[in-house]
Amino acid sequence: MSQPALINRYRWYELVGIYAGIFVFLSFILAPFVEGFLVSLKPLSLLFSSPYRFWPENGSFAAYRTMWVSVPGFARYIFNSFFISIIVTTVVLALVVPAAYAFARFRFRGSGALLAAFLAVNMFSGAVLLIPLFRLMRSFGVLNTYFAMIVPGVAFLIPSAIWLLRTYMMRIPRELDEAAFVDGASHFYTLRRVILPIAMPGITVVAITTFIGSYAQQFIFALTFNSKTEYMPLPVGLFAYFGRQEVVWNELMAASFVGIAPAVIVIFFLQRYLVSGLTAGAVKQ
Amino acid sequence: MGQLNLKKVQKFYGTYEVLKGVELEVRNGEFVVFVGPSGCGKSTLLRMIAGLDETTAGDIVIEGKRVNDLPPVKRGIAMVFQSYALYPHMTVFENIAFPLRVEKMPEEKLKAKVEHAARILHLDQRLQQKPGMLSGGQRQRVAIGRAIVREPKIFLFDEPLSNLDAALRADMRIELAKLHRQLKATMIYVTHDQVEAMTMADRIVVLNAGEIAQTGAPLELYHKPANTFVAGFIGNPKMNFLPVTCKSVSDAGVEVEYKGQTAIIPVMPRGGMAGATLTLGVRPEHIQIGSGDLTLAVTPSVIERLGAHTVAYASLGGEGENYCAMLPGTAAIRADEEVRTGIRAADCHLFDRNGIAFERRVEMTDIDMALFDPAAA
Repeated sequence: MSQPALINRYRWYELVGIYAGIFVFLSFILAPFVEGFLVSLKPLSLLFSSPYRFWPENGSFAAYRTMWVSVPGFARYIFNSFFISIIVTTVVLALVVPAAYAFARFRFRGSGALLAAFLAVNMFSGAVLLIPLFRLMRSFGVLNTYFAMIVPGVAFLIPSAIWLLRTYMMRIPRELDEAAFVDGASHFYTLRRVILPIAMPGITVVAITTFIGSYAQQFIFALTFNSKTEYMPLPVGLFAYFGRQEVVWNELMAASFVGIAPAVIVIFFLQRYLVSGLTAGAVKQ
Repeated sequence: MGQLNLKKVQKFYGTYEVLKGVELEVRNGEFVVFVGPSGCGKSTLLRMIAGLDETTAGDIVIEGKRVNDLPPVKRGIAMVFQSYALYPHMTVFENIAFPLRVEKMPEEKLKAKVEHAARILHLDQRLQQKPGMLSGGQRQRVAIGRAIVREPKIFLFDEPLSNLDAALRADMRIELAKLHRQLKATMIYVTHDQVEAMTMADRIVVLNAGEIAQTGAPLELYHKPANTFVAGFIGNPKMNFLPVTCKSVSDAGVEVEYKGQTAIIPVMPRGGMAGATLTLGVRPEHIQIGSGDLTLAVTPSVIERLGAHTVAYASLGGEGENYCAMLPGTAAIRADEEVRTGIRAADCHLFDRNGIAFERRVEMTDIDMALFDPAAA
């Protein structure tokens, strides 16, 4: 067995401490998921039995079948969520990439103030601005459309995306821009052929955070700006399992897991672009 | 084809004057090296010629055309950066082809040009690799390849070898000199390394604090430095400076006194100098053991034995001036033991109070074969 380098060598009690720490935090974060998954496997009657049993007896995946029947529009909700998030992510990227490049590379009057303003916007949560936004949407006559959920989503996600990508782009050596400029490339050509490919890991991070952010924030926008069932996204759709008499907990949990599946798949594919060391060999460090 | 004129070029950063009216003419096909200590403005001057930095005042003229407001491509220059500035996601081929892609050159012509450049730089086996897989020297060659495919009128090099290790630097120096002869293009090269300057340049421009201290062929700067700055900057180890008093001025030269000894330094005389304090310069390599026209007894405190040479460092009395002598490798000296060193008057340089040199009586054609014009003989 090869010895790790001295700096990576730990005593046995240090190792125990490290793993104990990891275990505590991981179980804290993952326990709800485990519990949720186990609930989705249990028949509803078992959920209210006393004493409560953590491990499901005669568990089955029945809830994953019945959930489609009890809320027939559920597939549509998943699609809506996915659709809104994809559009939001695309629009955010299209706007943020050139903006971040400009903030990272050009010196112009007010760039600092503008960046600070973006940060300030981020400090307002969407909820504070719900009523003005509602009035705005109503004046434009776009309430109860996808548009009403997409536009505020984009607006609230742009600031952090700009900050994130700008920082990444600032790490790309400026000599690359200068070399391209000397070779006759325009700013746009440089952005497309030189900066974009190198910034791909950064753009991927922005895409993932934007996608997740959009998935998470839909709830409040959908609840306020939309009353049409067919446009409702997943988080609102889950309310359909809250019946008048009872909450169908097992189906609700099953639906939650099915609902986040598309997002997980998208992130799984995006993370392939998260390769580091893309700038190796560009300049002598 | 690549002739460059700088006319009273000035550069201010805010109120700080980086370049103070630089006047320079670079002839077609010349290899000119800008050299100077860091912060002297040499890189800024190069970036201004390239079009990466604005010129505050003055004109940059390439082939009789004022180019101050033209982008780099339209100036007909190509630049090689200190940090190589390669595009890491592109292959060597695409890196070299980049300027041609920008021009939208047809694929076949582009391929031929890139392959031609790669052959010159011995990169033909590496065309499909990415920069990350190359060694430092190869990366630098790719950067040079990107410059030569465009066939610019003027090549600009910004300290291109300073990131390489010593052995590779020596190799690349020779390659660059060869390349210059092969391409016959005008090249302007910035460095702080005087060895690079001396070995590659047709003409060296020594910059000091934003001004040209002297322009001349390498050996001219070595043998006839115009001032104490150039005298101290060119040559390694540094020239020794001794404070002397001017006794008299005659046609034979200037008679100076140093600690009771006198010697006549064969320089072009200037009147009204008698009694003035002057600076005598002597290069460490011109000092020998024994006596000379001036003889100094010194006690070296440190001795460096380099094999071919022995370098002795001593202090000259109270003024804190260091005295350095480069002696033969087998010199019989020891640290902390007094040794007599001699200086020949003919090897000496003489500077006035302002550091301006008295012209030495040295025929440059006797020293540098390159300056010897057979047609004139």
